[in-house]
Amino acid sequence: MKKTLVAIAVLGYFGASVLLVAGLGYLWHRSDPAPVQPIAFPHTVHAGGLRMACVYCHTFVERSRSAGAPPLEICMGCHRSIATDREEIRKLTRYYEEKRPIEWKRVYALPDFIYFSHKRHVKAGVECAMCHGNVAGMRRVRRVNELIMGWCVSCHRVRGASRDCATCHK
Amino acid sequence: MKRRDFLWLLGVISGSTVMSACGSPNRSAKFTSYLLPPEEGIVPGEATIRSSTCTECPAGCGVLVRLREGRPVKLEGIPGHPVNDSGLCVRGQSSLYRLYHPERLRGPMAREGGKHRPVSWEEAFSRVADSLTASGQGSRKNLFLSGRTTGSLSRLVDATCAKLGIERLPEYEVYSHTAVKEANALLFGERDVPHYRIEEADFLLTVGADLLETHVTPVAYTRKISSARARGDFLWFHVEPHMSLTGANADRRFVLRPGRERRLLSFLLREVLDRKTPKMPLPVELLAALPRTTVSIVSGETGISPESLKEIANRLAAAKRPLVIAGGVGTAQTGGLEVASAAALLQWVTGAIPERVDFARSENYRGVGTLRDMEELSARMGRGDAGVVFLFRTNPVFSLPSRLGFKESLRKARLTVGMGDFLDETLREADLILPLSHSLESWGDVEPRRGVVSLLQPVLPPLHDTLSDGDALLRLLGKVSGRGAPGSYEELLHAAWGKRLGEAGRNRLLEKGYAEETLPKKAVSLDGKAAAETLRGGGPVEDAGKPVLVLAPSLRTFDGRSRILPILFEIPDPLTTITYGPWVSMSEEDAARAGLRDRDEVTLTSADWKAALPVKVQPGLAAGVFVVHRDMLSSPPVRTDRRTGGEVEYIVGVGISKTGKTVRVPILSGSLSQLGRGLIPDPVHLEESRRHDRWTLYPEHEHKEYRWAMAVDLERCNGCAACVAACHVENNVPVAGKADHLKGREMSWLRIEPFYEKGEVEFLPMLCQQCHYAPCESVCPVFAAHHNPEGLNVQVYARCVGTRYCSNNCPYKVRRFNWRQHQWPEPIDRMLNPDVPAREVGVMEKCTFCIQRIRAAKDKAKDEGRKVRDGEFTTACSQSCPTGALTFGNLLDKESKVYRLAHSERTYRVFESLGTEPSVYYLRGGKP
Repeated sequence: MKKTLVAIAVLGYFGASVLLVAGLGYLWHRSDPAPVQPIAFPHTVHAGGLRMACVYCHTFVERSRSAGAPPLEICMGCHRSIATDREEIRKLTRYYEEKRPIEWKRVYALPDFIYFSHKRHVKAGVECAMCHGNVAGMRRVRRVNELIMGWCVSCHRVRGASRDCATCHK
Repeated sequence: MKRRDFLWLLGVISGSTVMSACGSPNRSAKFTSYLLPPEEGIVPGEATIRSSTCTECPAGCGVLVRLREGRPVKLEGIPGHPVNDSGLCVRGQSSLYRLYHPERLRGPMAREGGKHRPVSWEEAFSRVADSLTASGQGSRKNLFLSGRTTGSLSRLVDATCAKLGIERLPEYEVYSHTAVKEANALLFGERDVPHYRIEEADFLLTVGADLLETHVTPVAYTRKISSARARGDFLWFHVEPHMSLTGANADRRFVLRPGRERRLLSFLLREVLDRKTPKMPLPVELLAALPRTTVSIVSGETGISPESLKEIANRLAAAKRPLVIAGGVGTAQTGGLEVASAAALLQWVTGAIPERVDFARSENYRGVGTLRDMEELSARMGRGDAGVVFLFRTNPVFSLPSRLGFKESLRKARLTVGMGDFLDETLREADLILPLSHSLESWGDVEPRRGVVSLLQPVLPPLHDTLSDGDALLRLLGKVSGRGAPGSYEELLHAAWGKRLGEAGRNRLLEKGYAEETLPKKAVSLDGKAAAETLRGGGPVEDAGKPVLVLAPSLRTFDGRSRILPILFEIPDPLTTITYGPWVSMSEEDAARAGLRDRDEVTLTSADWKAALPVKVQPGLAAGVFVVHRDMLSSPPVRTDRRTGGEVEYIVGVGISKTGKTVRVPILSGSLSQLGRGLIPDPVHLEESRRHDRWTLYPEHEHKEYRWAMAVDLERCNGCAACVAACHVENNVPVAGKADHLKGREMSWLRIEPFYEKGEVEFLPMLCQQCHYAPCESVCPVFAAHHNPEGLNVQVYARCVGTRYCSNNCPYKVRRFNWRQHQWPEPIDRMLNPDVPAREVGVMEKCTFCIQRIRAAKDKAKDEGRKVRDGEFTTACSQSCPTGALTFGNLLDKESKVYRLAHSERTYRVFESLGTEPSVYYLRGGKP
């Protein structure tokens, strides 16, 4: 009797931790692929309807490792006069006037120990959509690829890019 | 439960734990839209460079600040800067820790009932204004005491004091060079430290002057000595009673009894006059004042052998462009005035003035007062004569001897206003604390040498509620006068620069970070009568034979002002390899006689002072001489020199007694001797003969485009540890702390090993050797240590599971294990270089040859469709090296400098016989 109780207790303890760890791992892994942003920026309108080039706003993509969110100055270049009465544009104007940078929620994030350069990939002719999917068709940007090592390496292998660990691991 | 089930469960749990760790911890990270377009603002992921000036010591070295996402992450010397020309010392490299230090003052504070509480700037200024008015009505005098200030700030202090009726006191510096200034004033009418053009000399004799540690402008002197050495005909003799880094690096080091420097110099003066006609005539009365003496008498007095004395005299007389410099502990003694005067006379008769001793470009130490000035100040305040006392960026409570009673006197002032950046010993005593910004947050300029203006400009907004030096004074001025601040300091400076340098000159200053004025050489005339009187006036030499304690300057924290930077205690003292001190250095002879060993505690006593310190046995130190670093002691027992009012740093007749205790002191070096292992072989190719054949199952490594390598010229390396600090900052190497060091768990990727042989020391910088056949790689069970196509031993942190096999198999002891999660308390975390990950607990790390810099250089080259050019970039350590001892480059490029050095006759590799084929080549012997 006592033996069974001990066994149940031990099993229960380990079982609970397994469930907990697995659950946490699952949640973490499947973290919100399409987070709600401080301003509901529609890529469908800009990249879709207006067919604006990605680089028009993500100005750093060809010159820095980071693509960068557009500086507010770029948004305001158009939105000083366009659609100024809309609620989302008013939010944008408020940020600009209060001189507050907008802190967007990251959709794609790489761990601290990884070196990744947008510039190198764009210059090598990798299309934005290859990793980010058809952003022009997304009202709210959604993560379409999990940035895991195997996924990176598969493309590196196909394209004959470097597969030295130190290329990506800082 | 069955054993099998238990193991099965355990496997599942550990497996899922590992799996869950495969996520990204920064999913919640932010992605920022900045306000300004990149032309004016920040380009994320790219570094921007701004120029400024290092304010860690008074030398005023120009620095380039590397900013990432608006945060300074690294400092490097400005190439071509008239002071440091791209070099930066260990303190300068570390000074970012001052900016981001968690204990920095965060706002103004006022004392209430023994405790400091935060107040607003408005309230603080009101209190100062009220007290100033109150003491204006009474008989109390308002006083302003600061550390050395130069340039526009000094003029602003003058103006503020004049307008507010405050008496500006002579500035307080521990290293005030009083005797040198006094001698130059008496002999030539120039009360200042001249600029020494060491690079033009062919023979340098330094007496006590610690050129490489703290003397006026150490990086500049280091650069000058290196460029003179590179010419080939340069010889440097150093005379000192103790053992310093400067002495260790001179071509010859002579040990003399403390206090006998003047005997040596007047002997040399006599010899030079006897052997050749002086370049400049000496007045008759001066010749009469010179004592007649013989080699044997001088040898008996100084303790230098007659042969050595003759050699020094011969070299000095034979040299075409000799230069004699006295300073440091050599002039901070009773009789310091005679030492400095005799050195100045030697400069005079050998024609060094004005060719190599330049008074036109003197080092701007005029405003600095003496220890006697501080004695008088303390007495004045003690009488209750002081109204408001301003203490501006100075810490006299720490560095003045306790007999002055400075701390007690300070309490009698009506109001003490401390202005600084940390709650140091002095600010703790202040009634009101006005926090000042770091120099990287402020506008300003310094004039470290006459004719050199070096720029301070804000590269980030103030982290805390602080004001820049200039703005604090301007705001105070505005408040007291009741008219509001007369504009900002920035406007004032721009107007002043425009007026002084012209429009174009100001723009150049803002662009390059420094401006240099052309000044004609200044001819001075010798006052023979004053010189004769000076030489005659010296008292007898203090009693010989008594033990002497030398309060030596320290490379690491200057006069103690840099003690706040934790990294400086992490980097070992180059001569002893002690990290966390203090200690007293003792000769092998004395230690043997007293039966003392390293870490045994002794009590040191002099008239009114006592300290218990652990012993470090120091090879090369003379018997009867004990050395304590000045920066380690609060209230050191320095006396005031009767004639100059300067400091006396030789404590004659110090008592030493054993306490019987031992103290746990981290001494990083296992042995100060090579124990015949041939780390620095003599002859150079000794090890190659011991080499045995290799036999391997692994495929050969191939290198197509690059094979990175480093050459270390041991003849150039002076052990200054600037590279170690640079590596720490560049690579986010954590501060492990004393407890870890005591367990042998230091984290530094680069260390300087001193090896002693018959009292002479050689330094060996030791970093990951990036072996071609690396012992670490083959033992890693998870392939975390692997060889990359460019010849690097790459450590993949994400893959490392912490077996430490690699470290155990490394013959060079260069791998470092993270025994715990090292912390970067806010805001130090902002200092982290984003190109390098902060390693986690349980991970092995080591030198990467600054792989992030290699990557950046390759990226740039690829953009331009070419290969990386030689010298286009370099590692952090070789960038910082003020002597140019480290060279980094591509070994496959036959035109590269590193290829040439690696194939030199002088080249060897450490432990050649092991067949590891390191990529670090050491050069030894011959001229660099």
